[in-house]
Amino acid sequence: MKHLLYLLVFIPSLLFSQQSKVITGTVVDHETKTPIIGASVYISSAIIGNQTATEGVLSGAMLGTTTNFDGEFSLKIEDKITSILISYIGYETEKIAINQQTKKLNIQLKQSSEALEEIVLTGYQKIEKRKMTSSYAKIEVDDIEQAGVASVDQMLAGQLSGVSVQPTTGAPGAPAKIVIRGTATLNGSSDPLWVLDGIPLEGNDIPQDFRDKDNIDNLQSYPIAGLNPEDIESITVLKDASATSIYGARAANGVIVITSKNGKKGKMNVRVNANTFITQKPDYDKLNLMNSSEKVDFELLLASRNDLRYQRDRGAVARILNNSGAYSDFVNNGFDALDTETQNAINQLKNTQTDWGDQLYQMAINQQYGVSISGGNDQNNYYFSTGLFDEKGTTIGTGQKRYNITLKDRFNFNDKLEIGVALFGNQNKTHSYITGADAYTNPSNYARNTNPYLALRDSNGNYVYDPDLVERSDLNLNYNVLEERENTSYELISNSLKAILDGQYQFSKSFFINTQLGLQLDFDRSEKISEEDSYFTRKYEQRSRYSSSDGEAYYMPKGGIIQNWNTDVFQYNWKTTANYQTKINKKHEVDLLLGTEFRRNKRTQIHSKGFGFNPNTLTTIAITDSRALTNSLFDTYQKTFAENAYASFFGTASYTYNKKYTLFSSLRYDGSNLFGVNPKYRYLPIWSVAGSWNVYNEDFMFDVDAVSDLKVRASYGIQGNIDKSTSPFVIGEYYTETLLPGVTEESIRALNAPNGDLRWEKTVSSNLGFDVGLFKNRVYITGDYYYRKSTDLIGLRAVPLESGFNFINTNWATVTNRGYELLINTTNIQNKNFRWTSSFNISHNKGVVDEIEIREEDFKPSLKGYSPNAIFAIKTAGLDSNGLPLFWKDGKKVSAVDFFNLEEGTNGSQLTREEHRNLYSYVGDGVPKFTGGFQNNFTYKQFGLRILSNFNIKQTVKAAPSYHLTQVQPGNNYNTDVLKAGTGNFPALIGFNSPGFDTDLVYNWFHSSDDGNTYNDLDIWVKDISYIRISSIKLSYAIPNQLLKKWNVSGLNFFVEGRNLLVFGTDYDGFFDPETYGSLYAQPIPKMISTGLQLSF
Amino acid sequence: MKHIFYLISILSLFACDSYLDIEPVGQVIPKTVEDYRSFLTSAYAIKHNHKVLTAYRTDELVLDADASGVEQYQDLFVWNDINPSPITSPYPYPTFYKVIFNANHIINNKDEIEGEQLSINQLVAEAYALRALQYFELINLYAKPYKQNTAETDLAVPITLSYDAEKAYTKKSLAQVYDLILSDLDKATALMQIQQQDIGNNYRFSLWGVKAFQTKVYLYQQKWQKAITSATEALAIENKLQDLNSNTTDLPSVYNSVESILALENVGSVDLANNATISEDLLAVFQADEDLRFNLYFDEQSDGRFKSNKNADLKYRVSFRTSELYLTQIECLARLNQESQAKQLLKDFAKNRYTTAGWNAYQTKIDGLDTAELITEILEERRREFALEGHRWYDLRRTTQPAISKTFNGVTYQLEQNDERYVIPFPNEALINNPNL
Repeated sequence: MKHLLYLLVFIPSLLFSQQSKVITGTVVDHETKTPIIGASVYISSAIIGNQTATEGVLSGAMLGTTTNFDGEFSLKIEDKITSILISYIGYETEKIAINQQTKKLNIQLKQSSEALEEIVLTGYQKIEKRKMTSSYAKIEVDDIEQAGVASVDQMLAGQLSGVSVQPTTGAPGAPAKIVIRGTATLNGSSDPLWVLDGIPLEGNDIPQDFRDKDNIDNLQSYPIAGLNPEDIESITVLKDASATSIYGARAANGVIVITSKNGKKGKMNVRVNANTFITQKPDYDKLNLMNSSEKVDFELLLASRNDLRYQRDRGAVARILNNSGAYSDFVNNGFDALDTETQNAINQLKNTQTDWGDQLYQMAINQQYGVSISGGNDQNNYYFSTGLFDEKGTTIGTGQKRYNITLKDRFNFNDKLEIGVALFGNQNKTHSYITGADAYTNPSNYARNTNPYLALRDSNGNYVYDPDLVERSDLNLNYNVLEERENTSYELISNSLKAILDGQYQFSKSFFINTQLGLQLDFDRSEKISEEDSYFTRKYEQRSRYSSSDGEAYYMPKGGIIQNWNTDVFQYNWKTTANYQTKINKKHEVDLLLGTEFRRNKRTQIHSKGFGFNPNTLTTIAITDSRALTNSLFDTYQKTFAENAYASFFGTASYTYNKKYTLFSSLRYDGSNLFGVNPKYRYLPIWSVAGSWNVYNEDFMFDVDAVSDLKVRASYGIQGNIDKSTSPFVIGEYYTETLLPGVTEESIRALNAPNGDLRWEKTVSSNLGFDVGLFKNRVYITGDYYYRKSTDLIGLRAVPLESGFNFINTNWATVTNRGYELLINTTNIQNKNFRWTSSFNISHNKGVVDEIEIREEDFKPSLKGYSPNAIFAIKTAGLDSNGLPLFWKDGKKVSAVDFFNLEEGTNGSQLTREEHRNLYSYVGDGVPKFTGGFQNNFTYKQFGLRILSNFNIKQTVKAAPSYHLTQVQPGNNYNTDVLKAGTGNFPALIGFNSPGFDTDLVYNWFHSSDDGNTYNDLDIWVKDISYIRISSIKLSYAIPNQLLKKWNVSGLNFFVEGRNLLVFGTDYDGFFDPETYGSLYAQPIPKMISTGLQLSF
Repeated sequence: MKHIFYLISILSLFACDSYLDIEPVGQVIPKTVEDYRSFLTSAYAIKHNHKVLTAYRTDELVLDADASGVEQYQDLFVWNDINPSPITSPYPYPTFYKVIFNANHIINNKDEIEGEQLSINQLVAEAYALRALQYFELINLYAKPYKQNTAETDLAVPITLSYDAEKAYTKKSLAQVYDLILSDLDKATALMQIQQQDIGNNYRFSLWGVKAFQTKVYLYQQKWQKAITSATEALAIENKLQDLNSNTTDLPSVYNSVESILALENVGSVDLANNATISEDLLAVFQADEDLRFNLYFDEQSDGRFKSNKNADLKYRVSFRTSELYLTQIECLARLNQESQAKQLLKDFAKNRYTTAGWNAYQTKIDGLDTAELITEILEERRREFALEGHRWYDLRRTTQPAISKTFNGVTYQLEQNDERYVIPFPNEALINNPNL
């Protein structure tokens, strides 16, 4: 331990005051004679170690440096040193003898025979690429790093074949939804497993539906949100069963392995990054809303129509007309019949225009800084870094700030024992204001609904409350977005510490044991404060209403509300593997691994609430009224605790013959905590087999010059998953109940329906792939075809309420996903000054629900035979002469009355559920047909240009309707689509007695009795979206070496980058971005321009 | 070294089951009688608001179109069951079957429960009674009133006696449901250990509660003699009435009144108490200055209108009380033409409700009534005694199903005599999940 301490303290070189000399030299490639930059030149402890062994490991201290841009080095050494070592990745390490006379050396490094041997880190094993039998994708983070992006998940968009990455909303800190090779579940999470240096990370699932308001309004922390992308070296995505089966049941959705940066042998390297990024204000005009003049005219139109009565007293025009008592006069005689004063008031309104874009959105200037220090020698290498990321959102009042610190160190105690420690600490703050008090108070949605003429402050500077955002006709709790932003706050502070300790002991050349302990501690603190003067508080107060002798009263104390959620997550993951490698007769290579893994996680959440909060004294007031006891909204304290444990045993075996044929298999048993779980599913077996053939190493390929690498791969495997929320027993959950005054008792509520028949979900995957390199690997192509069949998928099924439950879990579906992926990396041009490389990938996934239980009660058609994300819609056939929608039925145009079989005097449609389902047609797949990306890198002398793009082709989206034909009301603003109502395909606005045949029936149907919400499913809201987004254009300039030498630095780069500036494709009118097309709540995806520099010395 | 590794993995295999054996905090698989007691408590705690919602259907209330929150109730008020506004409060349905699920689980596992047998018997007895109560409420909402000659064919509600999500739930006949209720009550009677629950625990069934409930079931089946017998059995356990001449500290319906037999169901709500007023019709059946209940039940507003004092407060929970036993007994006697006995009992009862002067007048009035008039008067007395206490809708249904007319927002609405809307249609959520309804 003491040694460890010393090492940490004395990491920089230790020089002894003995006689020393300086040797210099250059390091070049043996074949090309080009300088090798960054090669390590050092003295091995083994060389001098013996002399000073008694003094401990310190004595062999690191002496070393790295070569500069010209491959030159200079090293001060003791006289008695007799040799130095020179090493570089992909080259064989050279040992050079030196003597008293040696001054200048010219060293040539030979490419090692396994020079092209990329190592694939699976998190459990390091596998040489040539032995790799499974499908994976790897990317260096340096290649995709973008300024102004907080989290690495967003950088992955379009970068990896088979990996779909979609931003969820543009809010700071929002996650990207990642799906690898399609969705293999119909209900569970489809999130991949994130693994950091071998440790699977815990964290919240990313919600399935990011069009849902609450998922957008809630701040949450996600597994990788705190990691600084600067600390990441590379990302490997494991895609097929043979790659992921070692991870067990959690890996059913694929695995993303993050490898963090390590120190390199050689002298200390300091790297400094500084970026400034300017986030542009979103274009509010994209929403196509009516302006004041249009809106006032529209309100006049609504008022003039006696048949449209839905909330007709709302909106400023109706208020003016009602106040002057002229409403009916206007209805009967028109605008000209109004007195001048009223006319002027209405006209005045047309000229009052609030720029909601300016009120809600902003341009923001943000910063990002990072410093890293790394280096190492034979005994030890280290990497320390710290970073700051500070972003203000384009939606005013939102932002994110993150601090990072990372410490990594590896020690080689001797030839056999190696120990590594790594600490990743960060604090990630996301803040917003309380936007989720009501559906309408989400800023993106409010921007759509609020009236353009509504002022936010009156002439005295006081808040103007929205007269049309009312709870009920008689109750307005006074909403003003500025007040809400000012007087409420919502903050999530995630503190996270991940610690990894690992040790490896090499018993012999062929056998070693590795053990790794990973700890993850996450402390998430969220705080919502709403001051007394806020809509949120007023709305909350309503829930404490009661009647007293003086009329209505509230038992919630006056003042603000403070709510805290403190969540502690702790997990440890301890795995131990024994590895055996041998080579027999130079032809037979055998690799064996056996291991155990134990994992336990605990999650404690404490939620507290205080009422009567005073932001100055930070005090709250206790609720004394006994009525509050029975209202859980006024519970002031709540604690939840959950614990899970997992124990697993696994092994892999690999055999390679003559570097040509490799067979690989793996097996894992996963056990998890047993409470309530059917004992027969205690341990899940998960296994895979795979093989590969290195065709390139065959003799017959020797003469095929064009081909520089060729390999084919195949794999097959089975994964399983059991739903732990379902049990054959009735599991109860403790609560307390107060049934009669003064008596509080413990109660046990049934948590779930007992279900003994549930089977585990099983996914069988196969993969066929090839890797081919052409023209000395200037063109490198990787292709894969896969087939995944998931059976017995668990889904929620609605059951008769008479059973005592609404929904239960059942095995109800089989889904197959098949698809192909293609990745082409090319070096298009390469000469002394100019280099152009490209990378193109495209993936196609087709999911089909082969079997699914038909739910008798469903309104929508069964997914059987369609994609799990199939979009069904009702085909309209234009409008009749009165603007009512027409539909196709048996090839004929029919009215809604015929189509839905509406009958006078009945409660809506007379169709059975089956007939109702048959009204729908399949219109497309909700996931894109093709996804991918295209990257280009150009370097010309000191200049670099990088263009990253990603594309989605043919994704069917059903947008939220821009208006509802019976519920258009003057109090809301609308997309200009509403002006086209009654023309084209847009249904006319109707009331109960609007002109037309059976309009009353149509009105009743769409207004109240349409339980299946068919209006939202009309095909007029459906659209196929395709786009290519230029996610980043980055121009960089590296200061020439000559200058750097003068300044004594080893690198200085400047760059300017534009993010998300351009998007081409189908129009997405009415929404901010094609990615969030159809979502009323998503914040716009930020467009940024950033500049920065990177300095290393 | 290899051996050590093997050893470790083998040891860990053995240790594994205990490593994985985590009892989650806050969760339990009920085993002991204490667990099952808590399980039944959660069933008792499930609230149904049907007593509140049906009050809007009766002639007890007036609703102003501009009252706050009126949108949730206006369609209930005017019996618009066909196309109510989407924000109309739905009548409860799933909550009854949730209670039934818990009761079934206890009943079906009664031999598995660990603990003292007498406590288990008490628990199972309560589960039977509670299950019976759910079916009774269901049929009074969603089925026709009981008629001896059509009960076999009138379809009521599905019967669930054990958990099964796969089976088809079809409506069973009213007779079958009544049979189940009565047989459950018989089983409850046989197992019941507690005669009378203590105040505070009296949301739970006791023998007293079961007998009171049985009385009501027989009354609704028009089995007058059986009702009288049950009522007598119940009153034998305890027969106190609150005399309002000497005690007006609280309503006789509150949970800690001497009358309270079972204090389980909510009969008031914030909206009902605050935003609806008492109908002229109901006010008119009270002799306000002589009837001691009037000032206790109602609160006069500044505009001269009255509001109900039975609100959402827990203390107003009530299902059965001794007044009901008396009034049922009186009604049954009258219906069996035992007029003089009925009159005497009614007068005895009324003594606790009227001022001395009022009572004297009342006696004179009663003495002058013939049988038909007496029955009408008994029902009027019921109406007064149980004003806004969740009885009125059921009483209207089981007796004359009269025509009612109401005005809302200037429009007059009419419920005809024997209108089919005396049966409430199954709520949408029930129909959506069970197409067999």
